[in-house]
Amino acid sequence: MDPYYVQQLAIGLSLGMIYALMAIGFTLIFGVLNVVNFAHGEVYSIGAFAGLLLITAFGPPLLAVFLLVLAVGAATGFGLERLAFRPFRRFSDEASLKSRAMREATLMSSLALSIFTREAMELVFGSEFQTVPLDYLINEPIALGPVTIVTGDIIIFVAAAVMLGGLQYLLTRTATGRAIRAVSNNPLGAKYVGINTNRTIVLTFVIGSMMGALAGIMVGLYYGAIFPAMGFTPAVKAFVAMVMGGLSSIPGAVICALIIGVSESLATTFVSSVWADMVAYSFLLLTLVLFPQGLFGKGRDRV
Amino acid sequence: MTSVTGITRRTALGLALGTGLVIGGAAGAWAQEDPVVIGYQLPLTGNTAQYGQDFKTAAEIALEDFNASGRLPVPVEIIFEDSRSDAKEGVNIARKFVDNDDIVAVLGDFTSTVSMAAAQVYKQAGMPQLSQTASHPDYARISPYQFRNITTQAQEGEVNANWLWERGFRKVAVIAEQTDWGQAVVQGFTAPFEEMGGEIVYSEFFNRGLPDFRSIITKIQRAEPDAIYTGLFYEDGAQFLKQMEQLGADIPVHSTSAAYNQKLVELAGPAADDLYLTATFLPTSEGEHVQEFVAAWKAARDGQEPGQFPAQAYDAVNIMLDAVVRAWPDVTRESMREALAATEDFPGVTGVTSFDEDGEPEKQMTRARIVDGVFVEVQ
Repeated sequence: MDPYYVQQLAIGLSLGMIYALMAIGFTLIFGVLNVVNFAHGEVYSIGAFAGLLLITAFGPPLLAVFLLVLAVGAATGFGLERLAFRPFRRFSDEASLKSRAMREATLMSSLALSIFTREAMELVFGSEFQTVPLDYLINEPIALGPVTIVTGDIIIFVAAAVMLGGLQYLLTRTATGRAIRAVSNNPLGAKYVGINTNRTIVLTFVIGSMMGALAGIMVGLYYGAIFPAMGFTPAVKAFVAMVMGGLSSIPGAVICALIIGVSESLATTFVSSVWADMVAYSFLLLTLVLFPQGLFGKGRDRV
Repeated sequence: MTSVTGITRRTALGLALGTGLVIGGAAGAWAQEDPVVIGYQLPLTGNTAQYGQDFKTAAEIALEDFNASGRLPVPVEIIFEDSRSDAKEGVNIARKFVDNDDIVAVLGDFTSTVSMAAAQVYKQAGMPQLSQTASHPDYARISPYQFRNITTQAQEGEVNANWLWERGFRKVAVIAEQTDWGQAVVQGFTAPFEEMGGEIVYSEFFNRGLPDFRSIITKIQRAEPDAIYTGLFYEDGAQFLKQMEQLGADIPVHSTSAAYNQKLVELAGPAADDLYLTATFLPTSEGEHVQEFVAAWKAARDGQEPGQFPAQAYDAVNIMLDAVVRAWPDVTRESMREALAATEDFPGVTGVTSFDEDGEPEKQMTRARIVDGVFVEVQ
């Protein structure tokens, strides 16, 4: 096989991994509430900035940076749920709980919070790339025959694999996971059988945002590009991956993220790079038209 | 609408003059206190906010010096409006500026796209517009009211084509961002280079802010060019150079003055070394004006060095203020246009500037190269 295509494939897989990292937390949160959390991209930026501040202030080892970012992500997720989602669950009568309008109002509230956070960060830090200490970048090249990958590819691959495996274990083998799935399936029913739905939702946000924040710092260090609007593009790609994967299937979203990454990278070979951005949107359209249940959907939901 | 504004303005002026005659000294003294007002449209928020913020700082430095110098009996005021690098917003601001009878001239915008959109409004209203950065060839030709303080890509491309040719490169890959400016970079370089007998083996556009250039780099490698000519800004530049190094692509890279920024070195580290580029401003140059500006900038920005864009904005504001002085005491939109067009041998930090009949500046370009993280002049 032409080494050129192998290299493009490797680049595509690493792009896909980056999208997958984002898509995991995104899909988890969507799964439990059935609404898009538009602020996920900002959680990602906050994670990156928190990590960067820690790096410039203390210069700790990379692992410590990741751990702190996880903690910041947890706090952000908790705050996000409190500010943008909980106020719309104030009423616990049956009509409100079943109301789509109440649920979908959080689309707007999370979007509002996302715009507010991004603008605030631009005011404080400026919209330009932050200077990242070069020692912390995870982009040391590793040559594998004709193909070059970087250290970050391995770190991101391991992180995504651990996240995916951990979440699958959590969701299918533990009581907490069962509660999350119950709330996701039927919030009212879950409430009637005695599940603390509020607590479950908060927990989902905390876990999802931890993953979002970790993705932010990892990708930030991977590219050496940390800036307030950094979460936007990956959030769009993660959204497409989620829809393609059938909305609530986390492994489905990961596979679709990889498909998007590889397609984008290969598309650059045949069309101008400007058009490579169309790949994700074309997939979104094709999925909506041809596979209304998504590629890995359960058939219960229509995308 | 605009012509109505014009008439109203003249009528208002007549009325003011008449009142002045009747009431005498008191009104005259009051009229003299009125500051001269200039509009400045620039991106203060959004993706390109850092450039707009730089322009604003540069304008404030220039304006403060000017008002303290007492060259005019009245102060000059600049009204800043945030265009967010959005053409629609730029046009809205242009309308707002045109409707404000106090404003006699406008600076900005940042990108060629927004500047050219706003220029249509200024053209109809007869408002002189001076952009510090719009380098698309068509911008200055829109009407006699458009001026710019940056060399066009036609000028810069030719300098670069000669330079690459002199270095012995015959097969060149060209990449640029997908904007009006990026298109101009490619055209400005390709035409003279092909005329010399050079070959463009690969050309590609990308969306500004593309995080991952690796697919493009791999594709460039396959085309096996002698050198790469790039039309990108420093952030994209840093990403591109870092990923070039990552993939072990050992091809010389040339760029335009747009990539000239100290942040490029900060972001890319050693990967930025050996980037060749043209520039109109080097903070290390000896000129007195340059050192004054660099000192004022460092005082305003915690010791950072100014890049080329703030220097261009600083000069643009000073050219504008110089025109105000020459138009005084009859400062109107029309007299400002005449004064700007008459700018000759203005000694700025980006070299000596004169405008030709199209409102194009004539400037010298410096050849520079990054050596150990420092931009140095190539003789």
